[in-house]
Amino acid sequence: MLAVKELSKSYAGEPALSNVSFSLNRGEVVALLGANGSGKTTTVQSICRLIEWDQGEISIDNADTRSSSSFLKQIGAVLGGCRNTNWRLTAKQNADYFARLRGFSGTAIRQNIDQLHSALGLDEHAKKEVMKLSTGNKQKAALLSALSYSPDFVLLDEPTLGLDFNTVNDLQVIIKEQLQTAEQGFLVTSHDLGFIDKICDRVVVLDHGQLLFEGTLDTLKSRLYKYELNIELNQPLDISILHSLWAGRFDLHVDRQTIKVNYESADQSLKMLHYLHENKIQPMQLQIDSLSMEKAYQTLVQQKDVK
Amino acid sequence: MNTHLFVNEMRLQWYEMRQYWFETLSGLFFITGIFLGLFYGIKGFVLEQGDGQSLDGLLLGFLLWTFATGAYGSVTKSVIEDTQKGYIEQLFLCPKGFISLMLYRSLSESLVGLVMLTVIAYAVMAITGNWLNINFAYFYGILLLSAPSLVGFGLMISGLALLFKRVETVGAMLTLALMGLVALDGLPLNIFTFLPFVPGASLARDIVLDQSLFRLDHLLIVMVNSLVYLVGGIFVFRAFEKQAKKRNLIGQY
Repeated sequence: MLAVKELSKSYAGEPALSNVSFSLNRGEVVALLGANGSGKTTTVQSICRLIEWDQGEISIDNADTRSSSSFLKQIGAVLGGCRNTNWRLTAKQNADYFARLRGFSGTAIRQNIDQLHSALGLDEHAKKEVMKLSTGNKQKAALLSALSYSPDFVLLDEPTLGLDFNTVNDLQVIIKEQLQTAEQGFLVTSHDLGFIDKICDRVVVLDHGQLLFEGTLDTLKSRLYKYELNIELNQPLDISILHSLWAGRFDLHVDRQTIKVNYESADQSLKMLHYLHENKIQPMQLQIDSLSMEKAYQTLVQQKDVK
Repeated sequence: MNTHLFVNEMRLQWYEMRQYWFETLSGLFFITGIFLGLFYGIKGFVLEQGDGQSLDGLLLGFLLWTFATGAYGSVTKSVIEDTQKGYIEQLFLCPKGFISLMLYRSLSESLVGLVMLTVIAYAVMAITGNWLNINFAYFYGILLLSAPSLVGFGLMISGLALLFKRVETVGAMLTLALMGLVALDGLPLNIFTFLPFVPGASLARDIVLDQSLFRLDHLLIVMVNSLVYLVGGIFVFRAFEKQAKKRNLIGQY
């Protein structure tokens, strides 16, 4: 298990991370979420020991990463942007180079690289140096290097940045396959919350360097309203009537003829819809959305007191 | 000796030389061309004074400078270029440590550099007709023994590059300063002995040009000079690396 305990780091007196703790197990995907400057990249770089942190501890299987750099054999990282490969080499040469850099070589490693190279769809670009690849393929080349020696923990800092939908889907498939076959733990930072929603088991939310939430996606969503109803009517409704139409836990906002209600279960909305129908009140617009990861994150950051 | 790292760096050299063969060849032609320009530029002047020994000295000095530039640049080039090309962070994830990686990179680049040097040496001697009676085994032995001083010096400059980034101008100036270093006489013990690579270059000149006998005290001076600069370079680089990690400057450009 990779454990981050009470990690703190500040730059020129300004805290970048304050007592952040979370863990990552083999075989799970954890998302590290937060706005720009929330401390995600600082956390990832601290795990890689590219940053000297002020307080706290990062350990792998209870061994402090500051006691020896041999833990780096267990870490694979795709750091932010396209800063992960030697642009003068091909994707496969990069993978081979970085596997050997970590101390891994031999037939099994070569086979693994060949397999991943095909799975990532890089075979048709086998002879091209990384500098000649598209942004998406550069990212795939970086992923190939990070996965080439099957590290126990893979850190992906903004892996979907600049990628098209198809490539993001390919990335999801690869991560899911790696989870099944290699029992690796993935720590993913991304602004693509749809991507996070599809692949992650747990989320860690940072805000201004502080831990806002740590838990499963279901726990996060269950703490928030599961549905959002937006309705625009052709006439205003009395707010006291509106309140009487809702039961259980809900949050009602009315702005003239526009009504927004956040609520927990689907049947909560029936009474209001029935009322509108009975009284022949025509909705000009009506939309019911279930809570997306993006919405959950936004609500969490707005509330800040959920934890 | 970590064979993984050494083989890895040799393979990297091979990949780059093979894939960028035009760059490799043009580099060789460029260096040879520079020397020929220098050689024919001063040949007439030297022969007028009847000092044939100066031409031999020029040739050897050129070979020493070429090697010194390569050995010094092996580390600085990696830190500066890999920061710009953008994968220096990945090199810092080497479990054996970034400095070990750089030392193996320097070793592999120096070995490849020696092969190149031999090609250049014979090309230059053939073209100019100035044949030096070089015992390459001795010559290379001395160069490899004195190269760590340049690597250590390179580590010091690389440490600066980690913190202050744009040090290309300093690096270029030092590359030119190496011309002076290979020309200075650091043996027997004098003030120039304390400069990097100077004792090694002096010993090479004594053995190759003057056909002097090996002196153990001179050899010892070369070794101590190498060791002091290498250890000093590692110490300085570590201090700068720590600062760079505190300020989150690794890879920032």
